[in-house]
Amino acid sequence: MAEYRAEVVIWMLSGTLSLVMMLVWMAQAQAAPGGQIRGYDAAGFATYFLSTWLVSQLLVVWVAWELDFEIRQGTLSPQLLRPMDPMWGHYASHVAERLVRLVPMLGLVTVFALLSGARFTTEWWAYPAALGLAALGFTARFLYEYAIGLLAFWTESSNSFQELAWLVYAALGGMFAPLDFYPAWVQGVAVWTPFPYMLGLPAQLLAGKAGPEDALRGALVMLGWLVVFWFLRLAVWRAGLKKYGAVGA
Amino acid sequence: MTRYLRLLRIFTGATLSAQLEYRANFVGALLASLGEVGVALLGLGIVFGQPGITSVGGWSFREALLVTGFFMLTEGVISVFIQPNMSKIADAIRTGSMDFTLLKPIDAQFGVSTRHLNVLRAPDLLIGLGLIVSAASGLTVTPLGVLGAALLYSSAVVIVYCIWLALSTTAFWFVKTQNVAELFNGVFGAARFPVSAFPLPVRAFLTFVVPVAFITTVPAQALTGELAWSAALASPVVAAALFVGARLFWLRAVGSYTSASS
Repeated sequence: MAEYRAEVVIWMLSGTLSLVMMLVWMAQAQAAPGGQIRGYDAAGFATYFLSTWLVSQLLVVWVAWELDFEIRQGTLSPQLLRPMDPMWGHYASHVAERLVRLVPMLGLVTVFALLSGARFTTEWWAYPAALGLAALGFTARFLYEYAIGLLAFWTESSNSFQELAWLVYAALGGMFAPLDFYPAWVQGVAVWTPFPYMLGLPAQLLAGKAGPEDALRGALVMLGWLVVFWFLRLAVWRAGLKKYGAVGA
Repeated sequence: MTRYLRLLRIFTGATLSAQLEYRANFVGALLASLGEVGVALLGLGIVFGQPGITSVGGWSFREALLVTGFFMLTEGVISVFIQPNMSKIADAIRTGSMDFTLLKPIDAQFGVSTRHLNVLRAPDLLIGLGLIVSAASGLTVTPLGVLGAALLYSSAVVIVYCIWLALSTTAFWFVKTQNVAELFNGVFGAARFPVSAFPLPVRAFLTFVVPVAFITTVPAQALTGELAWSAALASPVVAAALFVGARLFWLRAVGSYTSASS
């Protein structure tokens, strides 16, 4: 992964949605009477959105694209001969990329924070808690994206499903605004999904707007979803392999 | 000239028949289009959903929706006409099939820019136009405004095409260019909001460095009749300058091309 250092930086910069929303909200807060919207002033918005940007960088998953390619080109076949599920190779390469990403990411966050006036929390426990939640969130996202990528066994549109999954993740995760800005019924739906706990909650922890009990509850919910996604991925994989064998033979 | 028009017809027919073979893909493309418009509307909807917010950067909801409409339309123009062609330039250079394009007795830039078409994303164009029409129906729009918006939008399309062409042309030296296109998409994402919704330094960046403002905000302003003359004149000038620049860059790149095997 270290071979692609320049590309890693470009990929990081191309995930700009949270930065665009940050700038819009900051300008809105400055224009609002009293200088704030729902308790967030410009610096508060900067802190929240920079945090979501940071967390979303840790949650980046592209395995669905790779699977789509491998299934279509048939390069999956030699991997099946190895005595290990190909999933672990993908997982390892994603984790390795995270390590390469870390240094330029922290550099960029520092620059953006200085420019925008963001202030992160001073509570030390928030950082390991956010990192732990991000790790759980990344694994959950990896598993469901893997299941979506495997749809390439049946359909040519698996990349479109992936885009749609991204939309739900970004919307319910809180990339457009903190979740309490959403209409009540959307919030009611969102709490039943894993997305607010993988993106919004770690960001709120970094911004100092969520407590340890929130982190704990989020971690428990995420663990539950991990189990669900694990078996979902396994089921799709087994069904897909049967189908693949039928085509290749 | 007539030869080029005839070629356009042949290219279009060929890609159409190739793409319509995979009808199932249409469902996927439609999902992706709906996803795009979902993101665009959600961003706007949540901002305007807050109590007390009636405008973004001085734009009312309907006016901002107009910008989102132009944004979707441009997404459509990119995914139907521009990206399918430009993404193949790097491949053609790597595999050496660029030789065939250069040997043909037509202008090579025309050849690489018009050969492919992704009709499956045509719904994006309709969604964009639909958003523009529905937003404009609640605003006072003069025929002159419509004419101005159409003219300014055509220079917007030229601007987008030139940026993509210039970025893709770097493939003659760097082989891989997909990342650069991603970077453009990232900046272009800011165009879903009127440029005045951003803090001042960012506004300057989006106007002068990466001229995103001319792509969605300026045509929308023309439609609502709030466009300053300076911006109306600047847009075609920027487009023309970019076109000449991208053309020269392309010619230079082709001049230094040495084929894949040599």
